Amino acid sequence: MQAVKPRTLPLFKRGLNFETAMWFLARLSVLAIYGFMLAGILGGLVVSAQTHTNLAEVLRWAFFPNQTGNPLGAMPWVSMLAKIMVIAFIAVVSWHGVHGILVIADDYIADLTAQRWYHKAMIGYAVVVNVIAVYVIWKA
Amino acid sequence: MGVKRNVGLFTALGYKGGATMWTYIFHRLGGVALFIFFSMYILVLAGVSPVNTIFYDRSFQIVILFLGLFHAINGLRITMLDLWPAGLEYMPQAVRVEGVVLLLVYGFVLFVILGG
Repeated sequence: MQAVKPRTLPLFKRGLNFETAMWFLARLSVLAIYGFMLAGILGGLVVSAQTHTNLAEVLRWAFFPNQTGNPLGAMPWVSMLAKIMVIAFIAVVSWHGVHGILVIADDYIADLTAQRWYHKAMIGYAVVVNVIAVYVIWKA
Repeated sequence: MGVKRNVGLFTALGYKGGATMWTYIFHRLGGVALFIFFSMYILVLAGVSPVNTIFYDRSFQIVILFLGLFHAINGLRITMLDLWPAGLEYMPQAVRVEGVVLLLVYGFVLFVILGG
């Protein structure tokens, strides 16, 4: 059987330009999201075991920190670490999401002036969202 | 930079790209849905309570979970094949494996939501 010729360039031959960097960062951010989710679940298991808190309570606090009491209150360092993790998770998710929306929009909107405006608007939106998230989570 | 394709929606949907084309379409739909969900989540965090009632709606949960799970599982396949280009030769098989994983995970999620 004849060997199948690869149809894609190997990573090291693609060159480092803006498009390659954004493509790579989109993949890295999604790997970071998976990592944070795994760390969050493992952390939830450890904390619920140590504080005798229901795992559901820990996860509920992780997802909605301003809705319920903080079950990590008895463990200040873990609480701070969890806050940093949730903030980092939201930062990575907003980055990945804004990048994805811009990629989709750029596919359908050809006007360069419009592109410049909504690029700025989306980046501004991401900044505002992250400021709100940092404030709410840190004060929780 | 965007391009003008001049292709209507129905013409585009008639394109016989098979399962790979549908994963592409659903990945984009899922991405947009998750972005809307993310914005709603930030509103809930900020204390906008009417959004909270939408979160507890079962039909909303069932749809958003399907789109979210699809986006996550399909994204994992895309990332794996992108970082290991030789695997692109096995794309059809990878899409089938993805479908099976999605059915199993989503079936479990549906069981939890509808049973709870």
